Amino acid sequence: MVDSRPTLTMESYWIPTKAAGERLFWMSLEFSLNRPLKQGQPSIVERALSSGCADETLLSLPAVVPPKIRKDARRLLQPWPDGRYTDAYRRSGGILNVFTPPWGEPQDEVWAKMVAGWESDTFADTQTRQEALRALENRWNTTPHPFFAGLTPAQVIVGGGPQETELADEFLKHLTPLYDGRPFESEGEALIKTLTLLRGWQSQPRKDGRMVLEIIVAERNELLARRARVLHELAGSR
Amino acid sequence: MGRESRKGKRRRQARSGQQPPPVGASSEYRRNIGRADDILAKEGVEIRSDNWQQLALDWFAPQEPERGELARYIADHEQRLGTPWAQELLRLEVFFQAEDHAQIIAHYERAFPHYPRCALVEMWVADQVFRHAGDFWRARQMVRYAVDHLTGHAKPHYELGFMSYLLGDFAGALGWFNQAAERVAADNVEMGARILYNRGMVQYLVKGDEKAAIADVEEALRRKPDYPQAKETLRGLRGKVRWVPW
Repeated sequence: MVDSRPTLTMESYWIPTKAAGERLFWMSLEFSLNRPLKQGQPSIVERALSSGCADETLLSLPAVVPPKIRKDARRLLQPWPDGRYTDAYRRSGGILNVFTPPWGEPQDEVWAKMVAGWESDTFADTQTRQEALRALENRWNTTPHPFFAGLTPAQVIVGGGPQETELADEFLKHLTPLYDGRPFESEGEALIKTLTLLRGWQSQPRKDGRMVLEIIVAERNELLARRARVLHELAGSR
Repeated sequence: MGRESRKGKRRRQARSGQQPPPVGASSEYRRNIGRADDILAKEGVEIRSDNWQQLALDWFAPQEPERGELARYIADHEQRLGTPWAQELLRLEVFFQAEDHAQIIAHYERAFPHYPRCALVEMWVADQVFRHAGDFWRARQMVRYAVDHLTGHAKPHYELGFMSYLLGDFAGALGWFNQAAERVAADNVEMGARILYNRGMVQYLVKGDEKAAIADVEEALRRKPDYPQAKETLRGLRGKVRWVPW
């Protein structure tokens, strides 16, 4: 008989900064929510979308999941806004962004440039002006952002899937023995060394010839498509 | 990737005369200010109303093109600067020579908000904020200011290229490295070699342009023959290996 009870796996990684450690936690949670509980079954995200109730979905999690994790998961399962996906600033961004020091709208040169262009344009009326802003927000959501390592904010907010989980694990297992216990002159040095290693690692083609970014983008796009399908089916059933 | 440092002859002197451990950040800061003033006095520096501009230039920006930039800054803000500013700038230079990273940042934060923003100071202090304090976004904002005001200088363009690379924005990095390459002086061996090496690598990553990558790395080695990282990379590129070490 196969024992199918939930298991708890512990991994220990070396992380350069406290902020990266916090992001790593969010990255793992994002991965978990996108992972089907069993093969062929919907993920927690999809179940929450279908039911329209994150709390109900979270009740179905094993009892071993602590309240804090449930609370954090609830935050990630909130419906996406109609406008700009500003929550992308607070998400981990996956393995390609997990070490990037936290940033937000004040640092977002891309959005600032877009808004400056919109502000300098003239519009026939207020409604046209607001429509243009909505279009701009949508463009920001779906345009690869240089500060998200080339992911779009939509790809950031959807989280990573099983393939990215494996890639992240591979990198973290590569990083840890290299730098764990190694004295760094400063936090800046540790951060730069880690980011340099990450960018070198992601630049290596995989066995199938694809790059890490391609794999991650393809998987996140698939998750976005699945999300759109669930929402479409939900709209059709109402 | 590495960086240019402001190491110099005064380094050993500034490190000498170690004091007992500080009791707090503020007392440590004041103690180091006292040490810097001692060093300046030993060097025979006496800042007066008739020599403060010359001392600032000689100490902080002895060579072109930085000297010209600082001279322009002084001319633009002469009425707001004067001997107190020159004293703060010379102290800052002493901390750079001593490679006292924390003190450089502390001194910048305490002494310079009272004066008009100086792009040269921003550029050099940003290095410390980024590479030592790890405050990436603050440093980026400082370097952007330097790029906007030191339009002909290679260093801030190079720094933005490096920062873009760290963010995973390889195309953006290539753009900045290209701009840095256009601006670097032929006799700036260290910076020139580094810019070309990194531009070659990013060209390879963004465009898969092996020929361009080899040409840039070869040029980096021509400028700086003792560049082990570039030698290793060139071997990799010529050997047709797929992975090029950074």
